[in-house]
Amino acid sequence: MASAIKKGSVVVAVGTKKGGFLFHSPDRKKWSVAGPFMTGASVYHMVLDPRDGRTVYAAAPHFAEPWGPGVYRGRAGEQLKPTAAAPKFKEGSNLAVSRVWHVEPGPEDEPETVYAGVEPAALFRSADRGDTWQDIESLNYHSTRKDWQPGGGGLCLHSILVDPKKSKHLVIGISAVGAFESRDGGRSWTTENRGVRAGFMPNKYPEWGQCVHKLAWDASGDGSMFQQNHCGTYHRGPDGGSWTEVTKGLPSEFGFPIAAHPDRKNTAFVAPLIGAENRVFPKGQMAVWKTGNSGKTWRRVSKGLPGPNAYLGVLREGMSTDAEDPLGLYVGTNTGQLFASRDEGDSWKMIADFLPPILSVSGGMAR
Amino acid sequence: MSAAEIARTGVLVRIPSALRSYTRGQDEVVLDAPNLAGMLESLESSFPGIRHRVVDEAGRRRPFVNVFLNEELVMTAFPDVALKPGDIVHILPSVAGG
Repeated sequence: MASAIKKGSVVVAVGTKKGGFLFHSPDRKKWSVAGPFMTGASVYHMVLDPRDGRTVYAAAPHFAEPWGPGVYRGRAGEQLKPTAAAPKFKEGSNLAVSRVWHVEPGPEDEPETVYAGVEPAALFRSADRGDTWQDIESLNYHSTRKDWQPGGGGLCLHSILVDPKKSKHLVIGISAVGAFESRDGGRSWTTENRGVRAGFMPNKYPEWGQCVHKLAWDASGDGSMFQQNHCGTYHRGPDGGSWTEVTKGLPSEFGFPIAAHPDRKNTAFVAPLIGAENRVFPKGQMAVWKTGNSGKTWRRVSKGLPGPNAYLGVLREGMSTDAEDPLGLYVGTNTGQLFASRDEGDSWKMIADFLPPILSVSGGMAR
Repeated sequence: MSAAEIARTGVLVRIPSALRSYTRGQDEVVLDAPNLAGMLESLESSFPGIRHRVVDEAGRRRPFVNVFLNEELVMTAFPDVALKPGDIVHILPSVAGG
């Protein structure tokens, strides 16, 4: 499968258990697909760099297992190749990167900068598009590290937020350690978990140890964020401070992805599942829930989504938006369907079926 | 390359297809090294990045990567496995799964 990706097309990068794909459309009605790329490999994350609209990065093992972790790079629509080196811990640390979970393009004014989140949990920064990597020691050898515990998916750093207005402002999420924030480009970090519940701990509100599943900036642009956690959904207001739990109104406290509207503040989307013990949509009906007021109220949208008798789930990287108006929203399932909405989640259409289980979905625009 | 030729020139390392992007497509490399650890160092100096595909940054052999010396699976630590001219080393992914 291959097809040229036209400039101005919306591109949805999809990482699956067996390779990556680029779905693209000039009008979001008729979709074409390019791929598979990195065939056979579990592509944990794949993203079109919004800074140039041409470069695609992906997190996948080097030529599938067992050759260790890899970061791939390529031009949209062409085969991706491993970068010259994968992230590595410093010598003597006795730590070894087993998997890259997430690749995040850096700020607009640093077009060569890329961040990688890995397992065991650590953050790496590249200043040359992924060919060499800097071990962010202030976080990776944080004083609390010896007590970090893995979540069900492993001890992974999966969320990397780079503030679009302040490039030195970073927030990361680790399962099951919580959120850390840096305002000096990663030189120092603070735990940012006040108000976030750890229902599986004797102390329900520890400084760290929460099982964050995914983080997203609120479009407010003032440092506000949304969080989907193992134990609830949260919003944090501007300039730090405590998180506010906003689970009320949702069918459960458990889910993986969270996506925020890139332009409209206080607006986000979640996909709650029954719970940790049964990671499928409630009542056999796939649904997305939407808020326009930072989670004070939620509205269920399921028109066009499968059910009843649809017993499937969505993983932590499985939901994303584009930047069009009205907003497009994309959800990939762990049973290999890709759904798209071009009316901000109000109605959905399946644009691909019979893909391998979908690990990540990321929207963007080709330029 | 014949066994006699290898014996004259050094240790022959057979490179799996997944790692030939490092060796610019070469499927065999001949080198001098006193042991398997030295062999990886020698490969790395010629083909930067390749060592990290066989062992991780803590020096541990990656799970499901096998190294054979003259068709015998190497189970001991790489520095303890001596090499001599004429030896043939295979680096191969193991069969994993059911």
